[in-house]
Amino acid sequence: MNAELTRLRDARDHAAPWRKWGPYLSERQWGTVREDYSDGGDAWGYFTHDQARSRAYRWGEDGLAGFSDDKQRLCFALALWNGQDPILKERLFGLTNSEGNHGEDVKEYYFYLDATPTHSYMKYLYKYPQAAFPYADLVQSNGRRGRGDFEYELIDTGVFAEDRYWDVVVEYAKAGTDDVLIRITAHNRGPEAATLHVLPTLWFRNQWSWHAGDPRPSLEQVPTGPGLRVVRAAEPALGEYFLACEGDAPLLFTENETNTQRIFGVPNRTPYVKDGINECVVHGRTDAVNPANKGTKVAAHYTLTVGPGESRSVRLRLANVAPVAPPGGNGAAATAFATGFDPVLEARKQEADTFYADLTPDKLSADEANVMRQALAGMLWSKQFYHYDVDKWLEERGSDPFAATRKAAPRNDHWHHMYNGDVISMPDKWEYPWYAAWDLAFHVIALTLVDPDFGKQQLKLMLKERYLHPNGQIPAYEWNFGDVNPPVHAWSTIFTYRLEKSITGEGDREWLKGCFQKLLLNFTWWVNRKDRTGRNVFEGGFLGLDNIGVFDRSAPLPTGGYLEQADGTAWMALYCQNMLEIAAELAVTDPDYADMALKFVEHYLWIASSMAHCGQTGMWDDEDGFFYDVLRLPNGESRRLKVRSMVGLLPLCAATAYDGRLLEKYPEIAERLRWFLASRPELCAAIHDPRLPGQNNRLLGSILDEAKLRRVLSKMLDEAEFLGPYGIRSLSRFHADHPYVLNVGGREYRVDYLPAESDSGMFGGNSNWRGPVWMPVNALIIRALLQYYTYYGDAFTVECPTGSGHQMTLYQVAEEIARRLAATFVRGADGRRPVYGGTAKFQDDPHWRDLLQFYEYFHGDNGAGLGANHQTGWTGVIARTLHLFATVRPEGVLAGGKQAYLQTPKPRTEVATLVPEAR
Amino acid sequence: MLTLTPKVVAIYVDRLTQQWVVRDEAGHLWALPNTETPWDDRQPFTPADEADLDPVPGHYKYLLGLPT
Repeated sequence: MNAELTRLRDARDHAAPWRKWGPYLSERQWGTVREDYSDGGDAWGYFTHDQARSRAYRWGEDGLAGFSDDKQRLCFALALWNGQDPILKERLFGLTNSEGNHGEDVKEYYFYLDATPTHSYMKYLYKYPQAAFPYADLVQSNGRRGRGDFEYELIDTGVFAEDRYWDVVVEYAKAGTDDVLIRITAHNRGPEAATLHVLPTLWFRNQWSWHAGDPRPSLEQVPTGPGLRVVRAAEPALGEYFLACEGDAPLLFTENETNTQRIFGVPNRTPYVKDGINECVVHGRTDAVNPANKGTKVAAHYTLTVGPGESRSVRLRLANVAPVAPPGGNGAAATAFATGFDPVLEARKQEADTFYADLTPDKLSADEANVMRQALAGMLWSKQFYHYDVDKWLEERGSDPFAATRKAAPRNDHWHHMYNGDVISMPDKWEYPWYAAWDLAFHVIALTLVDPDFGKQQLKLMLKERYLHPNGQIPAYEWNFGDVNPPVHAWSTIFTYRLEKSITGEGDREWLKGCFQKLLLNFTWWVNRKDRTGRNVFEGGFLGLDNIGVFDRSAPLPTGGYLEQADGTAWMALYCQNMLEIAAELAVTDPDYADMALKFVEHYLWIASSMAHCGQTGMWDDEDGFFYDVLRLPNGESRRLKVRSMVGLLPLCAATAYDGRLLEKYPEIAERLRWFLASRPELCAAIHDPRLPGQNNRLLGSILDEAKLRRVLSKMLDEAEFLGPYGIRSLSRFHADHPYVLNVGGREYRVDYLPAESDSGMFGGNSNWRGPVWMPVNALIIRALLQYYTYYGDAFTVECPTGSGHQMTLYQVAEEIARRLAATFVRGADGRRPVYGGTAKFQDDPHWRDLLQFYEYFHGDNGAGLGANHQTGWTGVIARTLHLFATVRPEGVLAGGKQAYLQTPKPRTEVATLVPEAR
Repeated sequence: MLTLTPKVVAIYVDRLTQQWVVRDEAGHLWALPNTETPWDDRQPFTPADEADLDPVPGHYKYLLGLPT
């Protein structure tokens, strides 16, 4: 067992709290729903980037390469100043939703280079221009661009010309659970010597201002000899910590409190406010920091002049014991840094290499291994302490849930039961610094590669009474917790359970039972709320696919009536299958669950048959061989909305192969199922007959029978339709020449193939499901193909790509899709990474070309990254698909089914350093 | 004798006079001076015609020492 696995075991056994400190700061707290107290709910406009340096946050903190304890009491992050900017660089800058021509967008370059699951070693890179940061240019130039234009990026401003920038690398290494070593290295990439102000900053999250009686924590300088500065941090719940700063950098103290003069126009009650350090460093206002050397926010002010091509480092240490000072001299500095620092940091770095070397299959190339490791690093860096007490928040805005006279809140009015205060995996800590339920289910699929315990905890967390609505709904995201996301939680749950079972030899049945009970509530919510007519066809609104429909599916339809959604119904069929899998697993030792398994078999069959039946009013279009949403009009008429999109591919994803053990163990269940199917022959008339045995006598639950499967696959694998060079597109390319057009009430509604950004403001305008490739749904397609393969085996082949004459098994098809997805990131034969498109700097420069960004979605034709550019969240699933196909063989899948992959990877012996070094 | 403390239901800033203003349950407005005990030292407030009262989040009531 390598050192990191030992730490994970100790954390699991509660022997050592290795996850207590981690990268739990957000990268953007301003512009969030939580900080928004405006009447109209204008989160972006209410609390701006410009205010952030001066206004204390209510619910959380942000910073560059931030680190904190798991309740975010004490925070550490990096601040920088190049001597040119009008403000310190304390947090990432980006455009708000209305400023960007494609919605909000961070305008900075930063990279998560490495991370271990206990955060024993973390590495982050920020690229800071030496010239003044072009804040105004970014806002103005993007403001002039329309939805048909590309975004204007930081690299386009020319601020990186002649390489006049700093590569600032931040590393954390844990000497103990409460002893964090910090090394900040500034590399001058420019042609001339330059000066950089480095301000490692420590502060307390402000809780004392917002609660009656909350004690005020304190930071104060501790007397030391030369060569060392020490800050003592004390907070009742956290205890005492010491930040040791090597050298004689001045310590600048202020308070993490709102500058009320600047924000509200009311005189400050203290001269030392949140932006005091900014005022001191940038404007020379020494009266803005406390000469008594105490406060609630402090920065050590290092001024580094570095020659061209050279670098300098700053070392700090945050620990719960004071640096020991032997009598006389500057022994404290020696103890904190000279002997115990670099060797420990190097050891943690080596241990990270070993951890990933053991995890990474031999079959992966060095470049693929680099992609996998950076994807996982991004996932681990994207953890964030998320704090939101909705009841309190409503009260603070005058919307007390039970008050007789109250203002209606602009959102989340019915979610006052919620209290969130946990470390959660975020989609993107700048663009989406809030959890999203269905994203999280995909995050777990990747995170469990490195930390199954954290994955389990995350899934369970969403089902806790502090999250799950009393009516059973899983919260969607803070913009509207009541929105409806696809129900993929059960899928992620059974996957995670099986993964742990395969690793440890024993599944956590109590965890699975607990999840199952809560998922039952959620399943029932879906059935009661989203099946309008009780005919087992479902709605759900946008269901995570933003602009995919011809109408905004979350809004009242311009035609009146309602939509029966192919994706909503398919998701529910998959939900049934996953619940059946869980119940069957639990029934192995607990007969009570056998009955539940039968319930879900029957429910699945009702839903699947409702979806697949033919005729004028069904979702299946026999002429096209595809599934469509059905529009039900108020006059009783109905019509299919013939948009060939991911909506119509999702029924293919509702497929699960079963080993039949449940029916063997419980013959009475088998008999009841036989009776049910015999008495309802119409149920299996249009779907795959679940009684037909396949490979190894497996059974298959699938909406698509073989004929329908082949027809849908022929479209999905057609390069002129869905199969793009970098994965399955969200919309068929067919619509490039054949836009779908619908005229309603004198207005034209249309869907065109848009492989890049959205051309409308629907759902914020920053996402696009009309052509680009999205990783999560590709992952589901791969999963389904492997399920079909374990049932149909090698005898079932299809032409892939359609029309190529090349026959493939469904395993090979799945592998081919995974290969295309990976090709987005991996350097091709031409030396270029498609993800970076035509950006020369990223393709050619040795200080850029191996740094990866895991975007939200990808151009449907050329693979260029689009949308949020640090959404390692669900795009991090690429780590899982890389690992999967480098681990399994098709014959193993046929023989072992799901267990073929869910096995402990064989450790490999050599240790390769795969992470790009800041040279 | 029982003394009832009026409950603060809303906080504002008056940009014109640069001071905090609160509204109690009875609808009365009070200006809070910049003292150690602003609530105890509150003064009745009548907004000028050109007053520009901006709402302030309720969590600032603790910072201002207002009754809860």
